[in-house]
Formats: sequence, C-alpha cells, structure tokens
Amino acid sequence: MPLYLSPRIGPTLQSALDETALMAQLSDALGSPLGVILPQQVADNVAAFRSIFSAHRLAGQIYYAHKANRSSALVRELAATDAGIDVASLAELQHALGAGFGPQRIMATGPKNEEFLWLCAVTGVTVSADSVGELAALATLVTNWSLPRVRVMARLSGFSSTGVRFTSRRSRFGMSAAAVSEVLDLIEKHAGALDLVGMAFHLDTIGLPEKAVALEGCLGALDECRRRGLRPWSVDIGGGFGVDYLADGTQWERYTTALTEAVLGRRAPLTWAGHGYGLRAEGGHVRGALNLYPAHRPVSGPAYLDRLLRTTAPEQRRPLGTLLLDNMYDLHVEPGRALLDQCGLVLTRVLEVRDEANGDTIVRLDCNARDVSLEEHGVLMDPVVVHRTTTAAAGPVGVYLFGNLCLEADLITRRKVFLPSRPRTGDLLAFVNTAGYLMDFSATQALRQPIGRKVALYRDGGAWRWCLDEQYWPVHRRVEAA
Amino acid sequence: MRFENMTDAIGNTPLVRIDAAVHGLRNIDLYAKMELLNPFGSLKDRAAWNMARPLLAQAVERGDTVVELSSGNTAKALAVIAGMHGLTFKSVTNRMKVTEIKDLLLLLGAEIDELPGQAECLDPSDTDDPLTRMYHRLAESDGGYLHTDQYFNELNVDAHLNGTGPEIVKDLDGRAPDYFIACVGTAGSSTGVAAALRQHNPEVRVVGLVAHKSDFIPGIRTIDEVHEVGLFDPDVYDEVETITADDAIDGLLTLVRRCGTLAGPTGGGAYQGAVRHLRAIDAQLTERRTAVFIVCDRVESYMSYLRERRPELFGRPPRRNSLRTVTDAEVRQAAVVDVAEAERWIAERRGLVVDLRSPFAYQALHIDGSVNIVDEIFAELLHGGLPFGRRQPVLLVCPVGEKSARYAALLTRMGHPDVRSLDGGIIAWRDAGAELVRD
Repeated sequence: MPLYLSPRIGPTLQSALDETALMAQLSDALGSPLGVILPQQVADNVAAFRSIFSAHRLAGQIYYAHKANRSSALVRELAATDAGIDVASLAELQHALGAGFGPQRIMATGPKNEEFLWLCAVTGVTVSADSVGELAALATLVTNWSLPRVRVMARLSGFSSTGVRFTSRRSRFGMSAAAVSEVLDLIEKHAGALDLVGMAFHLDTIGLPEKAVALEGCLGALDECRRRGLRPWSVDIGGGFGVDYLADGTQWERYTTALTEAVLGRRAPLTWAGHGYGLRAEGGHVRGALNLYPAHRPVSGPAYLDRLLRTTAPEQRRPLGTLLLDNMYDLHVEPGRALLDQCGLVLTRVLEVRDEANGDTIVRLDCNARDVSLEEHGVLMDPVVVHRTTTAAAGPVGVYLFGNLCLEADLITRRKVFLPSRPRTGDLLAFVNTAGYLMDFSATQALRQPIGRKVALYRDGGAWRWCLDEQYWPVHRRVEAA
Repeated sequence: MRFENMTDAIGNTPLVRIDAAVHGLRNIDLYAKMELLNPFGSLKDRAAWNMARPLLAQAVERGDTVVELSSGNTAKALAVIAGMHGLTFKSVTNRMKVTEIKDLLLLLGAEIDELPGQAECLDPSDTDDPLTRMYHRLAESDGGYLHTDQYFNELNVDAHLNGTGPEIVKDLDGRAPDYFIACVGTAGSSTGVAAALRQHNPEVRVVGLVAHKSDFIPGIRTIDEVHEVGLFDPDVYDEVETITADDAIDGLLTLVRRCGTLAGPTGGGAYQGAVRHLRAIDAQLTERRTAVFIVCDRVESYMSYLRERRPELFGRPPRRNSLRTVTDAEVRQAAVVDVAEAERWIAERRGLVVDLRSPFAYQALHIDGSVNIVDEIFAELLHGGLPFGRRQPVLLVCPVGEKSARYAALLTRMGHPDVRSLDGGIIAWRDAGAELVRD
C-alpha cells in the first residue's frame, strides 16, 4: 500500500495546477526549478488573520515575516493590503520601502548591523530590539545624527512561571524578562532618542502554555512601564502559527507509524540509507524524537492565533485576548509561513527515471535540495506529477528524488516518495504550497547551478496571467496572454 | 485490618465480577481487578512503592530528591511516598494535560518541570526524546536524585509479577483466566501480570490496548509511543488493539453508572476494549471462559478531561439573569453615552462608574472615581439580583463598549431605570485623550 503524504491544495492553487499547458510552457521558457507565486492569495490570508483580530475586538498589526520568501510580488501585493511587514536585514528593509510600505507599517527585527539601524532610524520604522546593547547603539546613532525619536519594541525572553515550571528552549534573541528594569532605565535615560511603543517575544515552539506564560510576562513588563509613566500600548507575540500541509491526517499517522517500524527493522526501509528523521533503534526500542515539522497540524494559522487568545493566562486566569483588550493593548503578530499558505509552488523538470538493480526507482530532477527545501525544514509532503502527455504507466510507484548537484547528499528528500503514477522524462513535478520557507530560503549557486526564476501568476479578467516576479505590481496594467 | 503505614495498604485489591446483564457476554465471566482501591488511588502505587522502597533509606540519609518522568499516577504515588519520608519529589513531563493531577501534585508539595513544546522551526540539534533529556540532566547534576526510571525499571514489572498477577490467580481459585486485557502505559503491569498468569497457564491470551494515534487517553500510550518504552516487549501480547478516547469514556460511563466502579478513562478503555474483543469470541464458545481486565484509577481526577470531551454530560439548568439571554434588540435599546457626555456625567458626580475589566488592567489605568467589578464576578452577582439600588445611577465601562452595552441591557431588563454604557469603551476614552489615572 503506497504511503502517500498528499498535500492540502486549496481551490486557487488547484486551479493554477490545472493549467497544465501553461505550466509546461513556463517551465520550458524559464527553466527548472521555477518558483510560481500566487500573490493574490496572500491578501485572503491577511483577511483571515484580521477576522480573528475582529472576533476578539483587538486592534494591532499583522506583520508579514519577509524572510519566508524573497519574492517582490508578495511584498508589493501585501503593500496594497492593510498588513505590515517584518524585515530582518538591510536589504529586506530596502525592499519593503521600495514596494510601497510606509515606515509606520514596518518592523525591523533580528540581528542588526549599524547600516541597518541607521536606515531604520532615518526612515522612522519601528525597531524591535534584541539587546540592551542594541538599544544603546540606536540611541547613540539617533543623538549623533540629530534624528527624531525612534519607535522601539523591547524583545523579551526567559520568562518565568509559578507553580508548574514551563521550560522553554534557550533563545539567542531577546532580553531577560527578569531584568526588564535595566532595559527601562536605559530607555528613560535616552528618552529623547527612544520611544518605547511595546513589548515583544517570539518563542520557537508550537506549545500554547509556553506562549501564555510569555504573553503574561509581557503584560507584567508593560505594567512596570506604566508604573514608571511610560505609555507603550502594544504586545508583539511574533510568529509560529504554522501551516497544515497535509490533506489527510490519517496518512500522516500511517506514515509515522510505518517510519517507526522501519527504524526498528520491522519493515523495509522507507528512507535513503535507513535515515530515521531523528529516531534510532537501541536494543529493540525506539530512542530519539521525530525531528520533523508536524505536517498535519489541524489547528494552525489564524485558528492557532484564535486558540492562543482564548487560552487562560496562568496567573490572572482570564483569556489572554480579554486581558489584552482590558489593558487597551494592540496585538502585533509576525506570521511568515502561515501568511504564505497556498501562495505558491515550485515546478521542477524530470531529467531521468530509472530502475536500479535492487528494485529502487530513481527520479532525477533538474533542481536541488536547496531549491525545494522541504528536507531542511523537515516538511514531508508529496509533489504533484504534471504529465506532459498521457500517463506512462498506471499505478503507484515508490521513488527516490535525486537532485542536480554532484553530491551524494543531494536528495530532494531522503524519504521514498510514493507517486500515484510513474513520471517520464520531461514531465514536471510540482512541489505545492512551498511559498513559505520552502522555495528560495536557502537557494544557492553552488556548482554554478542557477537559482530558479520566479513568476507571479494572477487572475485578471477571469483568466490566469503571469509575469516575472520582479515585474509584478498589484495594478495589473501589463497584461500578457496566458 | 491494622497497619503501621499507608504503604502497607498497597495491593490485595478485590477482583469483582461484572454483571452479565451489563456486558452482555453469555459464555464469559468477566472480572475487574479493582486497582483504583489502592491507597493513593491507582495501580501505580504498587510500582512506585516497589521501585522506591529499596532506595529510600539511602535517599533519606543524603536528602535526595525523588524524580520521575511522569504526568500522572506514578507521579502522584511517588509524591506521597516521598512526602512520607521527608523527601521532595520532582515530576518532569512533556505536557501534563490533566489539570486536576497537576493541582494535586502541587498540593502534595511536588515540583513540576514542563519540558519545551515542539519547535516550530526545525532545529537539527534538537533530537532527544524527553527521557534522554532527563538522563542528561541527571548526569549533569552531581547526584542528589533518586530516579525511579519507571519505563526501564524491572521492579515496575516485579510489582505485578509478584503482586497483581498472583492475586488474580488466588482469587480465581488457583486458576489463571483465559483472557487478560490491559491498557499499555509503562507496560509494567501488563508485562508483569501476563508473566504471572502464564506461569499457571501458558495458554492465557493477552490483549494489549493502545490509544488511537490522534487521541489522548491519560495513562495509555499510542502504537508509536509504546516502542519508546523500555519495558515494552511486543511478544508479551497475543494481540495489540487500538481504542479511542470515545471508547474509553463510553466504558467509563458504563463502569461508573452501572457497576458501582468509579473508574477513570484507562479503566473505561480497558472495559470497552475487553468487551469488544470478547464479544467476537463469545459467539463461538460452547464452554465457559474467564476474562480479567484492570481498573487502573479513579474518575475524580478527570473531570476537566470529561468536561472538555463530553460537555453534554455536565448540562446544567440555565441560571436566571444570564447575559447569554440578552437579545441584540435589547442591546440596541440600551442607553449609551459618548466620551464627552460621560466626562460631564462623571464630573458632575451623577452616579456610580463600574469598570468591568480585569483587576490588573484596572489597577494599571482607570477612570478616576470608578469601581472595579470584573465582568465574571458582575455576572455572578446579577444571577442573584441587582447589586445596587434602582435609584443609584450607573455608568458601565468595558474595553470597547460591547460587553458594557450587553450588561446595560440586562440591568434594564432587570428593572434598573438609570443605567448606561460608555460608547466605544475605555479605548475610545483613551483615544479621545480623556484622563486615566493609577493609584
């Protein structure tokens, strides 16, 4: 029985995939791999997040985490919505400004060099500061250049809980929540340069209880601000809302059970060289932990935000959303992956299909593991076969997907992938729902292989139209026949 | 019975027949081993005591902390045993899901360490399971811990091999049952009991029950998770079958309502799984057979679990003056005042300002002269009637003016003639630049 992990495909993405002739044309003209962006979908995703804000009567901003995709089309389309953008490098800030985001809609996060800080300060974007040192550097810069006060958020980490002790992974970002008075001392000292507008955190976890502790910790820090007469009005809870990648939860359960059995040697390997994705066998028992993205995540994206806002704060025992509203705080979120759900796919060309002597079938693609970084991000999800002509041979086939780098490790995924029909040379494999982190996040020119081009595919006048990603603007003036 | 210690009361639990009119099996006598009658409330009392007892004298001498990876009954039993010997107990868990057990552990003086949840971004350096992480932590500390290691400790199995199992055989007049059905948690009880029964009759059929993968049943592992358990040996079980949380709750209800047995979900699951498994066999039988399952613990600790999954079981009659009964039409008729009018109303001291927000938010910033009655307490008060006189004018304040309008409508319906809501709430008040104070 083939162990499928079929992707969840929404109506827009499906309608794009159904344009098989267009897909083939694009791939022939622009090469493999090819990133296909569906910019209009992102506006629907913003609206879905916004509806959760409305349901909780909360104001605040949805900042798109730009690092999830390098696409210009997405950023420009977002500039036409009411969303903001979270930039984590100098170039991302330049890109956002150039796409039409005003400084009041931009939040600068992550590690920053002096140039990045300078452009933030001079344009007046909000700086989410990671350390006391960064705040001090920013204050010096503002003073030396006689710039207006810069809006800052203080990113906190290391929250403590009472009763049950919630441990969180150590983070390299943020200032200790316990030492918030030190942060506020510095901000008060540089009151002419720094305007504290809120507290922030981002925890790399899908666990709600840890986030509830952190959010309540931010409320405590904001109370300390009010005691001092500072008036920040917002809490930024970062991202991590997640995506449900798979259409069918039972496939995920069947697959992970089979993987456990394969690791224990109770069935034939499901992976190249018996890779266990974090699991290993020791004395007949499984050890380690499944080191994969939870590809089946029924409560994800806006629904996860809703769940979090309904979670009861451990100390104040009121729903977190209600507490934010009680305190008149704005809520800021920074979704990346979740905002790009269903926003694109990567088209790759099949170069060779061969059967090995040991019974394995190999499909070699004209792309590498950096172009579709499913494996790097631990997302297990099948590609969709786009046949040029009729199906080669009916019936499912289990294949290993080899990449185009001259490197033993270059498999698109180390998993044996089950396809409903056998592809032929020249057919396309579409890796769908890959716009968030799985498209060009770590694409390189290793071996002088080209980085894939990107096109924006959009609906206009009832038809699909396309243009190069960098040519796309939300005002669809340049119409090309599809 | 006279004992020196509560630990002496562990074990020797009764084996009780389940009425055939309840289970409907014609040819099988079904018995429940009532482990819920152990002094600390569960089957795990046996294993906890058996594992801790040989190490206690030394631990007391050194003042060690007892530590275990457990989010349930083992933690409870160990916390009690540690307390009896003047030791502290620490429970390490990756997500304690049952709030009552969490509260009980805190009441017993235990410390609870929750391990981090799964990472959202993949971190290749993070590959250890909770147990390995706990071993690392113990190895890093310079001793000071008594780790009972329930998932790998053979004494866990021994408690049942020498206790639970032989007790069942004794109560069946020296014969082993034909079928033994057990839920698999640490696998200690099923492994130990199965071995003891097979010493008497190698033909005993043993059925292991695991939880459906997408379900959570406290105390039962899923088919994947059992492979992580050191004591789990697939050869112990003739069959491994899956039960769902729904099955467990159905079984629990049967035991609780019809069998005089206040069983928790694990016992319920064992009953339901046993009857399901035996029903197919029963139809083919021509002679009498005997089957035994284990009722692991008690129902009282799982009220929140049950309430979440079967809210209809807790249906209560509607209370009077409930906010939920206020209609949109009533809300539209409620009196509202805008910020400017409210400022005048307050300046002229014309009545009582009630702020419905949380105390924490109220203390941080509020309208001068207002009193704070948080909405949930206000709702409670209103179930009993008007909390202030009809001649007392009232202005209600909430974050955005939505809740306060509903309460104004409700108070109006209750006969209060002079109540109003701040339009746009305290956020509109702030945005208009009106004064907010903190004391």
